[in-house]
Amino acid sequence: MPEQSARVAVERSTRVAVERSTRVVAVVCPDWPAVAARRERGATYDAVGVVRANRVVARTVAAAQAGVCVGMRRREAQECCPDLVIATDNCDRDRVMFESIVRAIGEMVPLIEVGEPGTIVFPTRGPSRYLGGDDALGLRIVEVLNAEMHRSGLSDTVFGVGIADGRLMATIAAHAGRSPVVVPVGASRGWLNDCSVTVLADHAGVSRDIISLLQRLGIATLGDVVALPESTLTARFGPIGAEMHRLARGEDRYPPVTIAPPPDHATMRRFDDPIEDVNTVTLNGRDVAEELCAHLADHAAVCVRVQVCLLADHGEQNERVWYRPEGLGVGAITERVRWQMEGWVATRGPTSGVVLIRLIPLELRPFEGRQVGLWGAVSAADVAARQATLALVGLLGTNAVRVPEWRGGRDPTQVFVRTPAALVDLEQRSTAVLEERRWRGALPSPSPTRVYDTPVAVEVMGREGLRVVVSGRHELNVIPTQVIIDRVAHNIVWWAGPWPVEECWWDHHRKRRAARMHVVTEQRAMVLVLEHGVWLIVAEFG
Amino acid sequence: MFATVRGMASGSSSRDLLTNHALHHGLRPATVLRPAASIERDVLPLDAALAGVIDGGVMRGRSVVCSGDAAVALSMRVVARATQEGAWLAVVGVDDIGLLAAAEQGIALQRTVLVCAPRASREWAAAVATAIDGFALVMLQVPPSITVGEARKLMTRVQARRAVVVIVDPARQPAVISAFRPDVVLHTSTRQWFGIGNGVGHVQAREVRVEVSGRRMPGVAVHTVRLGC
Repeated sequence: MPEQSARVAVERSTRVAVERSTRVVAVVCPDWPAVAARRERGATYDAVGVVRANRVVARTVAAAQAGVCVGMRRREAQECCPDLVIATDNCDRDRVMFESIVRAIGEMVPLIEVGEPGTIVFPTRGPSRYLGGDDALGLRIVEVLNAEMHRSGLSDTVFGVGIADGRLMATIAAHAGRSPVVVPVGASRGWLNDCSVTVLADHAGVSRDIISLLQRLGIATLGDVVALPESTLTARFGPIGAEMHRLARGEDRYPPVTIAPPPDHATMRRFDDPIEDVNTVTLNGRDVAEELCAHLADHAAVCVRVQVCLLADHGEQNERVWYRPEGLGVGAITERVRWQMEGWVATRGPTSGVVLIRLIPLELRPFEGRQVGLWGAVSAADVAARQATLALVGLLGTNAVRVPEWRGGRDPTQVFVRTPAALVDLEQRSTAVLEERRWRGALPSPSPTRVYDTPVAVEVMGREGLRVVVSGRHELNVIPTQVIIDRVAHNIVWWAGPWPVEECWWDHHRKRRAARMHVVTEQRAMVLVLEHGVWLIVAEFG
Repeated sequence: MFATVRGMASGSSSRDLLTNHALHHGLRPATVLRPAASIERDVLPLDAALAGVIDGGVMRGRSVVCSGDAAVALSMRVVARATQEGAWLAVVGVDDIGLLAAAEQGIALQRTVLVCAPRASREWAAAVATAIDGFALVMLQVPPSITVGEARKLMTRVQARRAVVVIVDPARQPAVISAFRPDVVLHTSTRQWFGIGNGVGHVQAREVRVEVSGRRMPGVAVHTVRLGC
């Protein structure tokens, strides 16, 4: 009897984190960064190209028709298509813009996995059965995507949908064309056999040098790779050889690792009082993530795919799977909890506070340590600064230590929000804002160097002591001559404006109507805003 | 063997002998190795306009005060180049810093951390000391309550850790100079605004008069600098 119960325990313990290559759908928009950049500009420009390190990484359909290819240099792309709008790479923007697509698919399927922006993967089992087969599911996804893109005025966006056994095959199928590609059950291996080895570099992140070497060795297709014994590949290429063999067989990227299931306290936190604040939820998520990562580290594993479940007091539930092939650390999991929570609140959202956070490690891989790169990788300065930041958080509390995060907006106060440093992944900070990402209707550059949290109310007077106001047609009634700060009058030397802003006029709660001006007195230059009939100094060139 | 070479390398008199010896044995002594990145250099990288103003640049382990009209704008210019080259910046107590302007001035915001420090002298000094330990650049605004003792302790720490402290002091408090005894003081006053007229244009640039003085300088040098905002 005790033997049998022990076996049951072992069986249960090995069940966690095993996911064989199941049947999945991959929804891919290869040029998502370009679509996001175009969408941010209000869909007025057709040809948009996103450039990273002077090379085009994504372009819209119009740009592609004009001959712009991925990998071109910036100048070459502009030569092909003179009215090409160049945008810089911004993964924050891609993620924010992708949220609506995720939501649209999420209404159809409850549990989806978002890797990088532009890619959604989810298992077909439930939805395919519900809709009557993989073909019907593929068509339904295309319908949902078209409706969503039509709503944002970007109906010519190309999405690929692929349904197959295993992630690699589904991704390859999704890249194949516009109409959904369904690879029948069990046929993945046959399809993969004919694929060129370059798909490993395109879709599975294998280094191009290795692929080039394979080709020079006369191994042209994945069928050739499978034909070789795995041990030979491992002997020649090391761990990556075994991985290529596994990928060519149609299995997922890393071999699944099985460990004893983490104890409940390491995966779940339940709250007696519902928590309504996003940051507090995220901080609790960090606690759970710390325990989970410590538990996994004890078993020399790292989590590659994690499911985050949030449960609200009224029974609403939000679940999402996050995937990162390099592995998710404490900071990365915390940041994903925050993204998920922000996305949930920004949409219809929970009607009550959160009472439960649960992190379920779905896929693990062996922890191989970290290789510190020679250039552009983590430096000693990064490590020291990260430690000092955590020490400051410990000393002063979460809310006192913050990092800037781009959010976008028309006023200098809105463009960056200050997110608590404990809630972001300091190892993976995206690059900062650049000039061209400025919103239309934003104040002209250069921006004021001091921005006040609590603006100072002032009076602006014109000739003959008239109070300056802005009419419904955005015109001043008199020329401003004096600004009165704390009952002291300062003469206005130069002034410019007013620049109106009307935001969200369709939404009763968020609508905003204001006029902004640059005003230079004898000592200071400042930005004045007239809102609700009151002039405020919101910022200053200090 | 290698440890001895490293030990000897600190004495500069025996450098030639050492180099020959080490090269003979196929070793490169530590002094011959070039630093990996410019961030490790002794002088803070500055942009061309400021390099002319601060004679000899800003050494690591020293302090700069920016005061006057353009205190914040000038301090952004001082740190911008270094953050681009990989240094991390902690902004302590400058709560109203314009982040969009910082990005425009070239500060790498992905390596910037904003700290809201307590007002009391001892707690403030503890927070700043923690920042100095880990960050190569620390931008500060000094609360009026700071005591001379705490300020001296911080400066010693700055020298030990080879950080650079940039003190933002728009009001030109006399206590800042007397307590911190900064190496470089840049006092600014705006001369002229460009780009804006009566109802036309917008603020685009300004000309600033910068008075450079400091502990290690014989007198006061006056420069005129054009700032982007």
